[in-house]
Amino acid sequence: MTDYQATNAASSGISVPKKNLKALMRRSDKPGLIWLAQWAAFLLITGYGVYLSIGTVWHWPAMFLYGIFLTVPSYALSHECAHGSAFRTRGLNEALLWISSLLYYEEPNHRRFAHARHHTYTWIEGKDAQMPFATPMNFKGWLLEITGWALYVYETRLFIRNALGKFDAEVLDYTPASELGKLKWGARICLAVYASLFGMALAGIMWPLWFVIIPRLLGAPVMLLFTLIQHVEMQENDVNICKSTRSFTSNWLGRFLYMNMNFHIEHHLYPMVPFHQLENLNAEIKDQIPQPDPGFIRTNLEVLQVVWRRSMGGSTRAASIRQAPHMINTPDLQEMS
Amino acid sequence: MTDWVLACATDDIDEEDLIRFDHEDKTYAIYNTDNGFFATAGYCTHEVQHLEDGLVIGNVIECPLHQGRFEISSGKALSAPVCEDLVSYPVKVEGDQIYIQIV
Ligand code: FES
Repeated sequence: MTDYQATNAASSGISVPKKNLKALMRRSDKPGLIWLAQWAAFLLITGYGVYLSIGTVWHWPAMFLYGIFLTVPSYALSHECAHGSAFRTRGLNEALLWISSLLYYEEPNHRRFAHARHHTYTWIEGKDAQMPFATPMNFKGWLLEITGWALYVYETRLFIRNALGKFDAEVLDYTPASELGKLKWGARICLAVYASLFGMALAGIMWPLWFVIIPRLLGAPVMLLFTLIQHVEMQENDVNICKSTRSFTSNWLGRFLYMNMNFHIEHHLYPMVPFHQLENLNAEIKDQIPQPDPGFIRTNLEVLQVVWRRSMGGSTRAASIRQAPHMINTPDLQEMS
Repeated sequence: MTDWVLACATDDIDEEDLIRFDHEDKTYAIYNTDNGFFATAGYCTHEVQHLEDGLVIGNVIECPLHQGRFEISSGKALSAPVCEDLVSYPVKVEGDQIYIQIV
């Protein structure tokens, strides 16, 4: 492979002394179990709100709130378990990869292989298996992304094709041939689970609707606002993670929901560092990487302004968030800080 | 023909760690584990990533790029995304010198 260069710390010119990196990489079950207990507590409290509100005007707001706590952590846990870094105990990683990926809506084996390719070729067009939207993004693209429509269409098609054993060329490219059977059977199991949930709802058993299906759909936009800002408006086709990827500041709740993936540059530079060590990794390398963008809400608002103005033919310069130079259509292009 | 090649000194490798060893046109990984010293091919069998920055956990080496895992003593692939075993090489320690047998 002559053009091969993995996108990581080495390709980005970042380094950490090996001894320090080893300490950061160390695995443990405890932080993941504590996180899991906190997640369960949030789900119980907000889920109890859903239960109490059935039959009242508060039912849908309650499902929305519970849906945020169901959906964002499902995505984050599925991601961390796909890396195998959530827990030291491998079996725990694998069991939770399945549960969280089912909730996120992706077959777990595919999740792992596609995400591996996302790390190998982060934001390299045609090679990154997880570039879900066309860039630069316009308002229509934003809507398709944030409503979850793009995800549901893509994953539903993939579930069906993989379950039938009709694999797309790109799936064959990033999945070793010996693992295709796992993808096929994984997709079949997932479809059976989804069909059972819908079947129960159709038969009048309402808990799958009230506690899984509707909250998952309502919570999706919040989850997708988190994932969107990881790379949107950043540089494509550059092996430097600092240019292709965005970190952003976040309060404790955002960091909990997203398992610290707001430290996203840090994660891409050293994907073997578990979620509970990303803040310490940031402390180790913060002088070598760009400043994080200003918070989940502010960053998203600026992205929304940019994509709206791009669709309306206006200036696409954001007020403060980092952008790749070619995302900015005004004449006085600024270098990325 | 098989050769024993001097790879490094025992104290070149920290406990629960590995180093890279390049010899002629090949590259290897030499490990120091609780069970002794071991050697495998240097590159992960999944994609083109050297294991030198990987994480040693007991008798397991975890690849730094996608966290695929191999059993160090046998080279056996343990978990996705790796599914092809690593080639492993015999190791002997003489005094404080580590030799690997290269086929
Ligand atoms: S390159 Fe080693 S696990 Fe992918």
